[in-house]
Amino acid sequence: MSATSVSIPEPDAPVILSARRMAWLRFRANPVALIGAFMVITVLLCAAFAPWIAPYPDHAGNVIDFANRHAAPSSEHWAGADKVGRDILSRVIFGFRVSLLLVVGVLGVAVPVGAALGLCAGYFGGRTEFLITGFTNVMLAIPPLIMALAVGSVLSPTLINAMIAIAMLWWTWHARLVYRVAKSVAAEDFVEAARLAGATHWHILTKEILPNCIAVISVKTTLDAAFVILFGATLSFLGLGVRPPTPDLGSMVADGRQFLPEMWWGVLTPALGIFYATLGFNLLGDGLRDMFDVEV
Amino acid sequence: MALLEINDLNVSFSSYSQRTQVLRDVSLKIEQGQRVALIGETGSGKSVTSKTILNTLPGNANVESGQVSWRGEDLLSKSDGERERLKGIEMSVVMQDPLSSFNPVFTIGRHLEDVLYWADRRAGKRRSRADRVTHIHDVLRKVQLGDPERVMASYPAQLSGGMRQRVLIALALMNRPAMLIADEPGTALDVTTQDEILRLINDLVTEVGLSLLMITHNLGVVRMTADYVYVMRKGVIVEHGPLEQIFDNPRTDYTRELINAIPPLYGASVKDQPVSSEAPLVKLEGVSKTFTRRHLLGASDHTHAVRDVSIDIPRGEIFGLAGESGSGKTTVARMVMGMMGATSGKITVDGMDLSAQKDGRIDRKLAQIVYQNPGTSLNPKRTVAQTLDVPLRFAGLDATDRAKRTDELLELVNMPRHFAARYPHELSGGQKQRIAIARALAADPKLIVLDEPTSALDVSVQKRVIALLEELRSDLGLTFLFISHDLSLMRNFCSHIAIMLRGELVEQGTPAQVFADPKHPYTRALIAAVPVISTEEEAAKPIVTQAEKQKFLVSSAA
Repeated sequence: MSATSVSIPEPDAPVILSARRMAWLRFRANPVALIGAFMVITVLLCAAFAPWIAPYPDHAGNVIDFANRHAAPSSEHWAGADKVGRDILSRVIFGFRVSLLLVVGVLGVAVPVGAALGLCAGYFGGRTEFLITGFTNVMLAIPPLIMALAVGSVLSPTLINAMIAIAMLWWTWHARLVYRVAKSVAAEDFVEAARLAGATHWHILTKEILPNCIAVISVKTTLDAAFVILFGATLSFLGLGVRPPTPDLGSMVADGRQFLPEMWWGVLTPALGIFYATLGFNLLGDGLRDMFDVEV
Repeated sequence: MALLEINDLNVSFSSYSQRTQVLRDVSLKIEQGQRVALIGETGSGKSVTSKTILNTLPGNANVESGQVSWRGEDLLSKSDGERERLKGIEMSVVMQDPLSSFNPVFTIGRHLEDVLYWADRRAGKRRSRADRVTHIHDVLRKVQLGDPERVMASYPAQLSGGMRQRVLIALALMNRPAMLIADEPGTALDVTTQDEILRLINDLVTEVGLSLLMITHNLGVVRMTADYVYVMRKGVIVEHGPLEQIFDNPRTDYTRELINAIPPLYGASVKDQPVSSEAPLVKLEGVSKTFTRRHLLGASDHTHAVRDVSIDIPRGEIFGLAGESGSGKTTVARMVMGMMGATSGKITVDGMDLSAQKDGRIDRKLAQIVYQNPGTSLNPKRTVAQTLDVPLRFAGLDATDRAKRTDELLELVNMPRHFAARYPHELSGGQKQRIAIARALAADPKLIVLDEPTSALDVSVQKRVIALLEELRSDLGLTFLFISHDLSLMRNFCSHIAIMLRGELVEQGTPAQVFADPKHPYTRALIAAVPVISTEEEAAKPIVTQAEKQKFLVSSAA
């Protein structure tokens, strides 16, 4: 072997980005996701600072101003006034509070419960899997609107009861999703390796499998926020939600409906509010889905 | 004029405002009827080169400069449609994974007929269905599929891997292309099947007068199938020349390293591992494993994965269990680990009868495992430190001891301490496998089961990982159960070797004995099929007749 060594040009090493940085770059490259994030942030800000943003903060309460009854949109009332003369724009801004409260209440219960059941079903398999997936499928067969009507009429039609009714069925979707992901993660070599290293079930569930489900859970939760807002609006439209005078988007649409088509502003602005919040969460959810590269 | 000529090709990938150059001034030439090999390790850019030729680069790839000329015409300036017309007619490709190249719901015949139909349409030819079928039968016979009728009526899943690869070659040859691009055609197959496929490709090249571009990482394959070799590394052609020159007189250190990293099968450089004379740590007596699938209606299916296997593994031994896919070697390993109970027979590890244990689980201080695929054996969401922490924490160590031991473990596997904070995707394949070894060592086991620990790694990386394992064996007095299908590696790394065929142990002994004088015809066929890199080794292989070989090829369809 002759040793005439030829030098080889050394190319620069590829840059390895951290997972977080990579995800952010992917998110940033997606204009739809950025628009969604912007919309969600404005909704959150409106809800948080409603008393300072709304032109007539006291109109969220029990105010009657018959002089402005059904006032058309003007420089004083940008979105017009309702049947007792309250500023509609102010009430929509306050209405986001109820919508978001519902989202937090429902998903705050449904997501942890669904995720925990899905994790257990996917990891333990066997009888646990059979019982949990069976129960989930039975619950999925109940139409949510009927359930909400039933809960509303047995108890009383309040926001809390609406939350309970929705949460009772909502966890099923999370259970199914997390079950699917957890089952495939549980079959990976690293789970077996952890078990061989003596790890407890608790460790494997929370430290090995759950971190691999977080992406899917957060995407689903964001997309769900939109559906919960929509569902909550439906319930209060049917009179099962918030009691007056608390401003709520769904019941505002229901109230305004009686004066259509002449006083169209009574419906338009609350409806746009529902649309805006729902679309924002949907776009953000889609953006997160692309960013994490998961299927929901 | 050369058939294909690539001049100063530069290709880069861009993703999220990052630009990575993957090919740098690549030049390559294939003459009519020439067999050219492009070799390189993972990430060397060999597949990107073939994709540039075929115009199948992903969307974020960018050809920055250079020419690709086909019969003197520049391909890069042609439209996609014009380049599409060359495919299948002028050049064809055979890919690595024969299963994912088929749509599982269509028969093989349907695949072949569709391809022919559309190729005819493009060429403006009219052919009746009967003519097409006759033509397909001819081609299938040419790739040595003896019963074309039955092959055409089968679904992809009903054929063996070797048969599927033959069908893919038939598909590529359907319209008599001038050049065949073979991208790792044997890598996903068993060694005996790979041998058959490579011979077939060779025969076709001489018979049909094909030109061949063989893309591979395996130097043995190159020796079998090429006349002229290009060596690629990190997007640069570092060396090229006729086969003999590259193998006998390499000019660059890189090529030399690549050749030296290949474990020899025969010859003076073969390494014999010291044989252990101690008492057995693991004892298998007449162990069988039957998998039963119960049906709601009708009789249950039984699969005999392992039949009547008896082995002793003395302390300090590197016990190699060789066999092709489906031979039951992994099942044996799982039973030794206590992850699976034996149907009959007795397994004893360190004097402990496994069947008497609760859940059949083995003590983690006795045995640990290193998996084949480092990509799935480390949790992508946990850092190296967190991964290594698991066995230590559950062994009851406190935080300071754990941190100290993590450092020790990293040092044992020759990894810098700051790697503790890295996530798996920030590590290379070899580094991940080192971490997997460190995790296995963390529990301080006596036995480590190595389930093809290097088959997903490049040869140069394999060499370093194997050296590490040898070092650990002598420093820590470990016993290894090494599962592999790579016989040339086992020849050098194992101190005892056992060969399995369809669940049964057919031969065992020290590698020196087994390789010098293989008794069982299967062992002979297996050794004969290993691609080697020198004529001397080729001559030292046992001679196997075609009939003997055929006996052990998984040839039949369901």
